Amino acid sequence: MTGHTPAPVASAGSRVHRARDIGTLVVAFLASIIGGTGCDDAGGAADPSGTIVQSSSSTVSDTATTGGKSGTKTGFIRGKDGVMNWAGPLIGGHVKKPVKYPMDPPVGGRHHPTPLNCNGDVYTKPVRNENAVHSLEHGAVWVTYTSRAAKADIKVLAARVRRTPYSMMSPYGRQKQPIMLSAWGVQRAVKGAKDPNVAKFFEKYVQGEQTPEPGAPCTGGTME
Amino acid sequence: MMAMRVRSIAGIAAALLVAAGALTYAFVTVAGLSDRPETSSPDAGFARDMAVHHQQAVDMSYIIRDRTADKDVRFLAYDIAQTQANQRGMLLGWLDLWDLSKVSPDGPMAWMGMDAMHSAEEGSLMPGMATKVELKRLESLSGRKAENLFLQLMTAHHKGGVHMADSCARTCTVDAVKRLAQHMVNGQRSEIDVMRDMLTERGAKPRA
Repeated sequence: MTGHTPAPVASAGSRVHRARDIGTLVVAFLASIIGGTGCDDAGGAADPSGTIVQSSSSTVSDTATTGGKSGTKTGFIRGKDGVMNWAGPLIGGHVKKPVKYPMDPPVGGRHHPTPLNCNGDVYTKPVRNENAVHSLEHGAVWVTYTSRAAKADIKVLAARVRRTPYSMMSPYGRQKQPIMLSAWGVQRAVKGAKDPNVAKFFEKYVQGEQTPEPGAPCTGGTME
Repeated sequence: MMAMRVRSIAGIAAALLVAAGALTYAFVTVAGLSDRPETSSPDAGFARDMAVHHQQAVDMSYIIRDRTADKDVRFLAYDIAQTQANQRGMLLGWLDLWDLSKVSPDGPMAWMGMDAMHSAEEGSLMPGMATKVELKRLESLSGRKAENLFLQLMTAHHKGGVHMADSCARTCTVDAVKRLAQHMVNGQRSEIDVMRDMLTERGAKPRA
């Protein structure tokens, strides 16, 4: 889809943690054999553990990425996983004029009607922010680097992007860190191509839950 | 002695019962059966009806791409076709995973309860859907006239889609379904604004 306005989105619930629940159930099962106590133990053991799992994981809050909060405060908040979450409103919508974004690289806001192609596309020249932000809205991860990034790192990151639809890469002179990863509402710096946070970021945010418009394309847009 | 043995047998039996219960619970959770919606649920109804609703948006988008060379309209149509085809795949995939039929035994819109009161117009299946006559007309036009009719039809289509998705966002129970429904509401509302601007640029406006 081509635009986005903020509204509350149902948060990920217990089903997301089903795999962990299974582990809990196995433990509960073993405990029930050893303990030989009442049936309530299985449920009782599963529930508090599920709660702990949810509260201990520093998930991206949907309100932060869609502007569902009051909107008076803006700025990045660092999550427990080191990912910076944009806390202010990120209002979508289309404009053909240049947009001044409050962060570098931008992680959301108004944008050009045409997205930058993000089908594993590696750009060697800087791209227009307004097009790239539209791609983030479609669920893309954007890898950006400055002249301080090592050539070898750029090469490895480009290879990762080329094999990852819904990702894109371009040089970005104004950013503070040599290599940065962005998606809609989130951003982080990484030390290099081999930093394990690269894989983690891709896994979580390529067409991740932060995506305002799931299913929208990374093709058919602009290539410059 | 005897009493103790009876008590320990009872204890073992109780432990086995608990184990069997835990195993069953684990199996149901692993298989995902515990959160499989009923066939008459809003989740299933939404998945079925929105898959049909989306399909027409994809069709209309293909038609307009054949009827105009206008870059903006062609890209909008591309975006709608891609997005709604992908979302349609999600909706149908859920029905497959839930082992539910693709057609409702109760007919379209039954899952919406009172929300279904604003029902479809004469000759169209669901709210906002174009009639066959309207689609034929779109196929017969070209250039600016086709663009304007497309933007008007798609605006009405989105309004109907937002109405349905909003109902699911409020009444569906599966997290992923509610989430997608809310994304549809946000995205399509925003697209309605985009299309209103495009109609204005072309000296037209949305239908009343």
